[in-house]
Amino acid sequence: MKPLARQILALSRLAVLDLYRRKDIVVVFVLGGVILTPLFFFTPFGMSGASRYTNELALLLVWLFSAVIGLGVSARLFPTEFESRTIYPLLSKPVSRGTVLAGKYLGALAAALSALAVFYAAYGVLAGVRQGVWFPLILWQAFILHTAFMIVVTALGLLGSLALTASANLTLCGLLTVGMLVFGQRLPSLAAAQPVPGKWVLYALHWIAPHLEFFDLRQRLVHEWPPVGWGVCGAVWLYALCYAAACLALAALIFRRKKF
Amino acid sequence: MEIVKLEGVVKTFGPVRAVDGLSLAVRQGEIMGFLGANGAGKTTTIKMLLGFFRPEQGRVEVLGGDPCEPATRSKIGFMPETAYYYPYLNVRELLAFYGGLCGMDKGAVERRSEALIPRVGLSAAGKRPLRTYSKGMLQRAGIAQALLHDPDLLILDEPFTGLDPLARIQLRDIIIDLRRQGKTVFFSSHELSEAELICDRVAILKQGGLVSCGSVRELAGDGGQNLERIFLKVLGVDAQGGGQA
Repeated sequence: MKPLARQILALSRLAVLDLYRRKDIVVVFVLGGVILTPLFFFTPFGMSGASRYTNELALLLVWLFSAVIGLGVSARLFPTEFESRTIYPLLSKPVSRGTVLAGKYLGALAAALSALAVFYAAYGVLAGVRQGVWFPLILWQAFILHTAFMIVVTALGLLGSLALTASANLTLCGLLTVGMLVFGQRLPSLAAAQPVPGKWVLYALHWIAPHLEFFDLRQRLVHEWPPVGWGVCGAVWLYALCYAAACLALAALIFRRKKF
Repeated sequence: MEIVKLEGVVKTFGPVRAVDGLSLAVRQGEIMGFLGANGAGKTTTIKMLLGFFRPEQGRVEVLGGDPCEPATRSKIGFMPETAYYYPYLNVRELLAFYGGLCGMDKGAVERRSEALIPRVGLSAAGKRPLRTYSKGMLQRAGIAQALLHDPDLLILDEPFTGLDPLARIQLRDIIIDLRRQGKTVFFSSHELSEAELICDRVAILKQGGLVSCGSVRELAGDGGQNLERIFLKVLGVDAQGGGQA
């Protein structure tokens, strides 16, 4: 293995260990299990066939927990290094700042995706037990697009972690994530209805903020609609990669200029 | 051969001139103590030696290269004043992490860890997470990570802070042993007695500028004073009252 690969691997491994040894993830998994399992055995309004309500709730929780994990890991990547002063021995090693950034990002992403895989596996099993359909294609597509969501959210968290404290970053990124998931699609129509300063702000948000609603296939999954075309999936993935690359490029610029 | 070379280095933070025209050279195989009161510019100088930032004026050269380049830093070991490291790792995992950053393979890291952990007195605590370590134990872990890749130059920021007498003796022995191996050690300290015991030369800094540099014997002159007296005299402090003379 080349030294650069060893450096990136060491940094990534640290981010994964950070997530799994800090016990936060255990809380999320336990909470997820406690909420998801009874949901799937619950018959809403006494109707045994009304599984879409429970599916919708379960998917909402999967999205919520995955966003919490993705942002939770990435938002504190650098603030903890600054607070504990471990940034000094880290940067004194023969490693470039670009490598540090890449390693930390890949580690945070790996940690977040591993948690996401567990959530989808749990959802797939529980939905299979209840409905008798095991891991349909639309579930795989939902997972694939959800990974693209994690790529964007983790990059956003990492960018904020270079400029803000962990809690401020988590709050801002959390608000942006929820806001874009809920209102992202409606931003142009909302902007058009506003008077001038508000209109500009909403249009700016429409162009700058990540359109996280692109990655959300919950409705299709819940209503058992047909899968989306793979071309659309590819385009959405490309959008995620470009957005994450822009965030990482900006983060690299900030990190390069940062004085310790 | 000069391992560290600073020529007319100036570094300012806003209106404060943290380092003001500092020129200094450290020779190969010597132990140099870098002394000064709080805010004298010691840590800022060390950060420039590690390439954390560049000076506004002057030149910094370490091991014949630019410390901002990772290749130069591959031959430098650094221990910060107080680092709390990663609380969820044990010392072996910490060394594996830093070994990876140095580009070392797993076998090399394990061999070095086997040698270093007993050397810094952490054998009994090798499997415990770092969050259970005392400040002195964290300092020992810091020494181990600094020595991991067998550097030619060791830069230590206040290495004796928080160490108990036994650990101080062990660290002193490690530093002297490194000199025996031809390594260069540059450390900042407030512990004048330790500096006097092990340093070949000391450099005394005041308000970012070098006010004195040489062996303790040279600086003492005919008076035969100890380093504490020399330090107070050079900084212009009245030993009895503690005020400026």
